[in-house]
Amino acid sequence: MYKAVVIGGSAGSFQVITRILNSLPKNFPLPILLSLHRLKHVRSGFVEALSIKSGIEVVEPFDKDTIKPGKAYLAPSNYHMYIELNKKIALSTEEPVNHSRPSIDLTFETAAQAYRDKIVGIILSGANRDGAYGLKKLKQLGGLAIVQDPNECQVKTMTEASLKMTQVDHIFTTQQIINFLQNLK
Amino acid sequence: MILTDQEVTYFVTTIKNSSPYDFSEYSEKSLKRRLQKILLDNNMDLIALINKLKTNKEFLEQTVKDITVNTTELFRDPLIWQTLKYRILPKFSENKTINIWHAGCSTGQEVYSMMILLNELDLLDKAKIFASDINTDALEAAKKGLYKYRFNIGYLDNFDKVIKENPFNYDEYNDVPYNKYFKIDKVSDSIIMNDFLKKKPIFRQHDLVKGENLYFAKFDLILCRNVIIYFKYSLQNKVFKLFQDHLYTNGYLVLGMHETMLGDIASRFDKKGQAYRKK
Repeated sequence: MYKAVVIGGSAGSFQVITRILNSLPKNFPLPILLSLHRLKHVRSGFVEALSIKSGIEVVEPFDKDTIKPGKAYLAPSNYHMYIELNKKIALSTEEPVNHSRPSIDLTFETAAQAYRDKIVGIILSGANRDGAYGLKKLKQLGGLAIVQDPNECQVKTMTEASLKMTQVDHIFTTQQIINFLQNLK
Repeated sequence: MILTDQEVTYFVTTIKNSSPYDFSEYSEKSLKRRLQKILLDNNMDLIALINKLKTNKEFLEQTVKDITVNTTELFRDPLIWQTLKYRILPKFSENKTINIWHAGCSTGQEVYSMMILLNELDLLDKAKIFASDINTDALEAAKKGLYKYRFNIGYLDNFDKVIKENPFNYDEYNDVPYNKYFKIDKVSDSIIMNDFLKKKPIFRQHDLVKGENLYFAKFDLILCRNVIIYFKYSLQNKVFKLFQDHLYTNGYLVLGMHETMLGDIASRFDKKGQAYRKK
């Protein structure tokens, strides 16, 4: 019943996202939209690192790429990644939002507008508040809001900010997130 | 505040009817987002904004600037600059002149990056640098060549990667001092380009939507990076056609790291990475 998964993370999320991607089957039925902050000096090589063991293909998309199921789209370094209503990727070099580019809020908000109640949003470990507003919008538009259990996060700021703003559907450990995704049809 | 598509269209139509600017072929997401920001910053609803746009020319110009502002940085995406350094610019070394057009140069960082690289390759003297943008505030900033330092420390990393290091040979290191090209003043928090760079480019206002070649020249190299992401497919194609018409055969068009040329026009170019060579 869901059509897309959008995941946001910052400091401490890299291992989590790697574990999640590694656990997905090749025929995972949905696209995964990833908006992850990265350290300024690790701008390249990130997509390769995520791809190594990932069950599904991980790409840094080009502007106007059509989103396809079973593929993970990583917001390119130094770009905002929007989702257009026609399910295409739109990139932008507008000002960073909350010091972040990509902005998790912007990816979440636009993905939520494109997929409405057919999207799952997941906020992972992170050191700032980006994503909290985006998850709120996603929930408001009918999406399913999931936050990584702050007790398990290397850095709790992002998940706690999200929990403060939104009555989320689930607080999950990494393993529970994996189980949840593996059961999506 | 969430704007409907009709409201965005209303805004676009107003601008089109009251000014020379036409945003009807701009990508929806970015346009909508910027419009929302303008409403928020001015604390106005759309009706109030439209009324002010119709009656106040200065406000309209300012709004157009707010819509068309883009950020960039010195040697943004070093990979592209390495391609220019090792693969593309050396092809022009026997030319008498090298005509380069920065289409959509924004605040000028790309233009300065190019001139620095050309100078390191001993090609700057024979280069003619043309740089255009729709946004006159951005052009003024480009002419000044003055950037914040603290916010842009990444410029120096990029400079090192492109100018000092050789990705094909890690033993090679050209310790080019920054002050050969710009002065860093930490007290005033600024990076200021040296005069010999600032006086070189010919900066002009230009709207890619209109599809004119304002320089009446042909080019060996056109850079248009992170501009067409704001355009719909139809406008992208018009712009590519403009570039194709005004490139020399074997001239290059360089796009942004995550931009790509689609459709029939792509068959008129040989593509390698982000560089398109005109057939």
